[in-house]
Amino acid sequence: MTLAPLILIPVAAGLACLVLRSHRLMAAVGVAAFAATLALGIRLLPDVIARGVVTEYDEFLSADALSTWMVLLVSLVSLGASLSAGGYFRRELAAGTLTAGRVREYYVLTPIFAAGMFFVVLVNSLGLMWFAVEATALSSVLLVALYNRPTSLEAAWKYIILGSLGLALALLGTVFVYAAAVGPHASEQLPSFNWSRLLEMAPHLDHRLMQLAFVLALVGYGTKAGLAPMHTWLPDAHSEAPSPTSAMLSGISLKIALYALLRFHILATACLGPAFSCNLLLALGLFSMFLAPPFILVQRNLKRMLAYSSLEHVGLICAGIGLNTPLTIFGALLHMGYHAAAKPVLFIAAGNIHQAFHTHEFRLIGRGLVKTLPVTAGLLALAAAAAVGLPPFGLFYSELTVIAGGIEAHRPVLSLLVLAALVASFCGLLQQFTRILLGEPTRGRLPARDTRPFDGMPAMALLLVVLVVFSVWLPAPLLTLLHQAAAIVGGKP
Amino acid sequence: MTAPAASSAIAAQLIALFAVLMLVLQLLLVGQRMLLTSIRLFALQSLFLAGIAAVIAFFHGAFHVFVVAVLTVAGKVLFLPWLLDRQVRRMRIGQEIEPLLNFPTSMVVCAALTLFGYILARPFTALERLGNNTLAVAMALVLTGIFLMFNRRKAITQVLAWLTVENGVMLAAVALTTYGMPLVVELGIFFDVIVAVMVLGILVYRIRDTFASMDTSKLRQLKG
Repeated sequence: MTLAPLILIPVAAGLACLVLRSHRLMAAVGVAAFAATLALGIRLLPDVIARGVVTEYDEFLSADALSTWMVLLVSLVSLGASLSAGGYFRRELAAGTLTAGRVREYYVLTPIFAAGMFFVVLVNSLGLMWFAVEATALSSVLLVALYNRPTSLEAAWKYIILGSLGLALALLGTVFVYAAAVGPHASEQLPSFNWSRLLEMAPHLDHRLMQLAFVLALVGYGTKAGLAPMHTWLPDAHSEAPSPTSAMLSGISLKIALYALLRFHILATACLGPAFSCNLLLALGLFSMFLAPPFILVQRNLKRMLAYSSLEHVGLICAGIGLNTPLTIFGALLHMGYHAAAKPVLFIAAGNIHQAFHTHEFRLIGRGLVKTLPVTAGLLALAAAAAVGLPPFGLFYSELTVIAGGIEAHRPVLSLLVLAALVASFCGLLQQFTRILLGEPTRGRLPARDTRPFDGMPAMALLLVVLVVFSVWLPAPLLTLLHQAAAIVGGKP
Repeated sequence: MTAPAASSAIAAQLIALFAVLMLVLQLLLVGQRMLLTSIRLFALQSLFLAGIAAVIAFFHGAFHVFVVAVLTVAGKVLFLPWLLDRQVRRMRIGQEIEPLLNFPTSMVVCAALTLFGYILARPFTALERLGNNTLAVAMALVLTGIFLMFNRRKAITQVLAWLTVENGVMLAAVALTTYGMPLVVELGIFFDVIVAVMVLGILVYRIRDTFASMDTSKLRQLKG
């Protein structure tokens, strides 16, 4: 019994926050819940490696290597976000930008948002997976609107309208898969809608229905995953949400939608052969990667720039899976993990900067953050170095793996395109980060108040330590898990 | 199939009739200028969707489809229209709908989209088991619904348009599989739709409070 508690613990934590009185206690409940799910995820790991698939309740819930990897990432990012949330909201309350009711809203909705993500990766039925993805969208939209500013309401409206429209199309795709499974002879005995069962019968499913289903899922879940050209809600929502929520949206929520898309991709590959869905993923992935750098370069707002950088990373993950060799898929999955550890640090640091300067605009932050906010700037610089893909950090390694895998598969042109897009965004991010980090602080633009230097420190330290440790040393069980997950995505040999 | 041939022919005709009526209501919705009437049109459209489910449940003796029909009536015919209606009245939202494209142009676009829906559904007519062209109607509902979402300024009318897309998807499920999806999935979708409209309602309320308007074309500050 490890799968059900993974979903129930966060739900219980969210409900507990409805009745708790002190914000400090709510923050502690959140942290405890995600520490528990992380522990459960780690306990699940050897079982999944040994048995391949762990199921519960007559295969209602099921975890294979891919879902276990996602469970670990959801737990890690949520833990990081909740560690930073306590201090962040205490300072926001002190500054009077949020009311106590809104802060409670955060503590109630965040665990439910996470529970939805756990449900997405653990539930076996494709129909209920859709239900869970929609539930994550609904629980996070009020978090995006938390500040109730005109801009945050606009962002939330765009997020929910585009997200719901996309998900309606994904539901249509889901319906088509089910129709293919029902086949031409309907009987009252409904066939199972379990993904594992669908995979067994995939080779016999109607090809045209599966093609249409995958395209609809790609557009639908791709919208939620922020793939270009359906990404237009992404920079708005990620920049307007409170920092801990931005960390979760960017760090893990995008990848959960990608996970849902991957389940369709695996089915489509089993039914139609790899070419159809891989080429589509590759095309959208590369398009996202090339769209991001120009927007990174012209951004004047720190959090919007970080959101566009997420677009780049999601694109890379898709491209890696689209190249469809064991090495590139392994690299893409690894990249999910490293990005999940690095991006929340950047958003938490951006939150600190906002609380010191009351703005995310580069122009108003000015230069010389290393002098004005030394600790935050130091951690921001480390995470930024990781996010742009500089060597000691894992993202360099995973990006290199994807490119090397592409070249090995005799697709040098595509690999060079990936490399070119990565270099372009590298330059863009580096230019923007050096602008605010280095140099002499302009007089008169010093922080509006003294911030304690260790704001958000535990969360950022935890994520950075995880990132650095796993960059240089990937423990054997984790490596096995990733190889198994790559084998699932790439079709079993 | 357990039902005798004659009664299943009646079932097929009833389903085709209800499906076409759903499409007619969709086109009326596109041309409608008054907000409260639009809500009623949506309720009526959902009633026909529930009718299709009820026909299947009755003629094929499938209990779980009957549950779906009851849920559709409770949720989409009664509760959601009541909720939207109350919100429109409480917030004293103006009645004029103000589409972006004028009425004749919208109609031409919708005719084209309906035709496109038929073309999209054509390869799958062999798989259909319910009446003729139910899937084509479903695709037309989805496409015109999406158009309606982009052709409306007021937040509430966008919600309404999204609900018609949802109706189209549910019709497609029935058209292709007869019995719809497993009950637990249908329950999940039902729950999501209800919660979605409530969440959207909260947002509409807050947008109204902050902007003193529901015109989403005023949500134009975030760019690039």
